[in-house]
Amino acid sequence: MSALPLLEVDDLRVTFNTASGPVHAVDGVSFTMEPGASLGVVGESGSGKSVTARALLRLFAITDDVRVAGSVHFDGVDLLRVDERRLRHVRGGQIGMIFQDPLTSLNPLMAVGEQIAESLRLHRGMGRAEAASEAVELLARVGIADPEKRATELPSSFSGGMRQRVMISLAIACRPRLLIADEPTTALDVTVQAEILLLLDELRRSEGMALMLITHDFGVVAATCEDVQVMYAGKLVEKASMAHLFDRANHPYTEGLLRLVPRFEDAHTGRLHPIPGQPPITGGGGSSCAFAPRCDHAFDRCRAEVPPEVAVGPEHLSACWLAAERARDTIEAGRPWKRDR
Amino acid sequence: MGMQTTTETTPPSQRPRRGGLRRWLRDLRPASDRLVAGGSLSGLLLRRLRDGVIVLLLVVTVIFFLAHVVGNPALVFAPVDATDEHIAELHRQFGLDRPVAERYWEYLVGLAQLDFGESTWQQRPAIDAVKEALPSTIYLTVVGLGAAAVLGVVPGIVAGARARKPFDKTSNLLSVAALSVPNFWLGLLLILVLGVQLGWLPTSGRFETASIVMPALTLGIVHGGRIFQLVRSATFEEMSKPYVTVARSKGLTEWNILRRHVVRNTGVTTATIVGWEYVRMWGGAVFAIEYVFAWPGVGLLTIDAAHRQDFFVLQAAVIIAGAFVIFSNLLIDMGYQFIDRRIAAS
Repeated sequence: MSALPLLEVDDLRVTFNTASGPVHAVDGVSFTMEPGASLGVVGESGSGKSVTARALLRLFAITDDVRVAGSVHFDGVDLLRVDERRLRHVRGGQIGMIFQDPLTSLNPLMAVGEQIAESLRLHRGMGRAEAASEAVELLARVGIADPEKRATELPSSFSGGMRQRVMISLAIACRPRLLIADEPTTALDVTVQAEILLLLDELRRSEGMALMLITHDFGVVAATCEDVQVMYAGKLVEKASMAHLFDRANHPYTEGLLRLVPRFEDAHTGRLHPIPGQPPITGGGGSSCAFAPRCDHAFDRCRAEVPPEVAVGPEHLSACWLAAERARDTIEAGRPWKRDR
Repeated sequence: MGMQTTTETTPPSQRPRRGGLRRWLRDLRPASDRLVAGGSLSGLLLRRLRDGVIVLLLVVTVIFFLAHVVGNPALVFAPVDATDEHIAELHRQFGLDRPVAERYWEYLVGLAQLDFGESTWQQRPAIDAVKEALPSTIYLTVVGLGAAAVLGVVPGIVAGARARKPFDKTSNLLSVAALSVPNFWLGLLLILVLGVQLGWLPTSGRFETASIVMPALTLGIVHGGRIFQLVRSATFEEMSKPYVTVARSKGLTEWNILRRHVVRNTGVTTATIVGWEYVRMWGGAVFAIEYVFAWPGVGLLTIDAAHRQDFFVLQAAVIIAGAFVIFSNLLIDMGYQFIDRRIAAS
């Protein structure tokens, strides 16, 4: 690697103190992103993927009793330790964020153009008129017809898909270097979903920004991202390139998730393949593999020790004892990076 | 129109007859139910007007019979050593020898012509006494509401935005104290401290400009406490909406988020809260406060009239105050509906 990575997350831990005890929502997550990269973060609800995204910008509710540890270096600056003023400069200016529910993510009583212009005036120092016309341009950029008129309308006159387009134009308004999209298509129709993903992909390429896409849907990642990481109970359980992961998923949890994607071949049996059981509600923090209770392959060691991240291929990591022991065996057999299954 | 344009889901056969008792009862549901029920704005206004008239008629009836069945002005009016003949003569003079139903009917006929009857003590139309007192009460309630809004709205917004921080905890505690203290007791306390011990402010009557300060302050504290609570929770609720997180992710300061986004959204609610509080003031505290501070308004007039059993003044004061409450309510409801629908429509 020649230059500094754009984003370097190291041992990120987020713990919420709740009435029923601490919840380790993010439990030691580390990853990096290069400028212009596209990274998908996949996991079930409660796996800690959204909390990870929010922690990057310290976007917690004032009433959250939350403790964040580790470091998040963006462009060399640790966002977890930087003061509020400089953090606000990064929010919206350097890192844009798109949220899950486009219906509630916009101020219902402010014209959409004004909501976009607000960012422009703040980060790009534009005047009122300049920001207003730039907002119109941005709306046109994300494919909203008749943007001049639409800019003056309230969010209630936009459909869900159109509102998500507005959200995107808002998030990219200040040409951020990183765009975090937290389940941007979950609340949308399938056809609209595809359009939004296409738009995100196209924007990423044309603006040269990095994209971090958080989703529970492998289909969404496959369409948009080059790299993918899978989260379970606050931990990253597998990291790989998209193509690699689809062909050679290593972690039993990833395999389970991939099996969840309904396949055309299975249509005649009408059978789905759910993963039995529920993820732990208290997140990580245990002294075993968090997935062990739901895993078909679990053995004694899984229930006794936290599995390490082991390389199971080029730029392919898996946090699984099965992989660790198999890797050791294959190394001993003199055949590294090969799996024989 | 209006009356029949409401969204009916029941089949026609089960629908109550127009004007039937079931329909009246259905329409007397709490306002919040009806907000959802929809219908045209003018239809709603007509229904609310009709309800208002019904409630006012109930007020008239209740206060008339309470006064005429329970009290006897002749006994209050007559000297201590009055003979039975003397009292009987007074009865005739006040028309108390006739059946109650007859007097009630006469009173209603008079009311329909805006004749509220004669005061037994003041030898003038009862309505004149109310008219004389009304400006004082309006003055006091408006200044009191201003004080309540100052004490309740801005601190409520700040506390809601900084929930569970020291300011929120302190102001919340104070507002609960303000809410819990009986209004007359608070008034007496202020008289004792600011009036008697420190001698800063006049304690009773309306003789100088400063006379308004203590009664208005008492109203302001009591009602400000409630306004604070409601504005605080409205702001808090608004602050936890996703668009606030989005505003934060744009890099706005907390102050700008509050000023540019949150207050805009809680504005209608806040105005409604303050409006309701004004109505509540008329419904209660102002009577006690006027009495404590001998403020020459409708409240004091009512209490005086009750003591003297000056039936027609008592009735006029209660009816006018009642009408004021009912139609202010209606006005606030309609205003809220109007704005809410405009927002929903745009």
